[in-house]
Amino acid sequence: MSCSPFELKDYFLEELPSPQRQQVEAHVRSCAACREELDRLQLTQAALFTLRDEEIPQRIAFVSDPIFEPSPVRRWLGAFWGSTARLGFASALMLSASIFYFAAARPAPAPVRPAVPTMAAGAPSPEQVQQQIQQAVAKAVADVEAREQLANKQLVAGLEQRIQESVRYVQWMEGEAEASRKRKQVQRVMASNQVDDSGDVK
Amino acid sequence: MIFRAVEDTDLIRQAIRGNVESFNLLVSRWEKRVYNYLLRITSNREDALDLTQDAFLKAYQNLRKLDDPGRFAPWLYRIAHNEAYSMFRKRRPETDIDELEPEATGTKITVGGSSVFPVELSLAVASALDRLTVDQREAVVLKVYQGFKFEEMAEILSCPVSTIKSRLYTALELLKSELAPVKARD
Repeated sequence: MSCSPFELKDYFLEELPSPQRQQVEAHVRSCAACREELDRLQLTQAALFTLRDEEIPQRIAFVSDPIFEPSPVRRWLGAFWGSTARLGFASALMLSASIFYFAAARPAPAPVRPAVPTMAAGAPSPEQVQQQIQQAVAKAVADVEAREQLANKQLVAGLEQRIQESVRYVQWMEGEAEASRKRKQVQRVMASNQVDDSGDVK
Repeated sequence: MIFRAVEDTDLIRQAIRGNVESFNLLVSRWEKRVYNYLLRITSNREDALDLTQDAFLKAYQNLRKLDDPGRFAPWLYRIAHNEAYSMFRKRRPETDIDELEPEATGTKITVGGSSVFPVELSLAVASALDRLTVDQREAVVLKVYQGFKFEEMAEILSCPVSTIKSRLYTALELLKSELAPVKARD
């Protein structure tokens, strides 16, 4: 167990910052146990370094084959889609461009609001579709009502004409009856006059 | 005219643009280190070579997904680690990775205080490393032989720094008791 202010192995593995390294060095100078522990670690490291690196038995190299080499466009696309940063930047750029475009393309507010709402360019929104449907239904209902009113007017006019004709016919019949009654009355008067002239029937 | 060393990041950018020769240069810089990393966790030269080739092929295919070329080394080792563990699982799918015993690379020799020749010491080191679990050995290889920082190791092994430290400290204790026992100092 080490009595060092910091872990001796961290010092030995060069993972301590400079001020802590100096504290450990000062402690090791005065502590025989920690000095021995450090010596053993250094001895272990020296032993480990006797195991030398080996040469690689076979060198590795890649060959560029034009048949399998992607085109510059494909490489660019591959690099573009493979990079999250580039993709994110492009998305942000497109979003910014679209915001600026729609902000610039929006028409200035007119002094008089038009009676009929103008249709927005592009695909209509659900509200616009609903409004269009309602307008079409209202127009159809108005057309039907107008046609019914016209038919009713024509029917009433026809009925009135027929009533007037009936009235005129009744009046003519009454006239005819009156004339007939008068003719009969005249005939009776004339018949009575003829009796008086011929032989004093009374 | 100004001369400067061609850095890995330059080669990575050129390779992403389709320059295979740049990637080959990158491979030549890293193949020995990756091979030795895989050799020490698999303890088999053929496996290590096959896995190294697979790792570089996968790296070439996925190079465009590397957002920060400055993190190439941990990214490459992460691929190599995944390839190695994929092979372990294929060979023994029912066995936990920690329980896997690698093929022996040398005779088990105890150095216990007596002086040994360099060759014998190397064999002793190989033997001591073989006694560690795969996880512990991998932590030692990445830290001591490959020189990665704890944060980079956590990225390669996809686990917290605390887990890395725990594996490494346990492994160092075991190696220390094998390779630098207390009586050896008398």
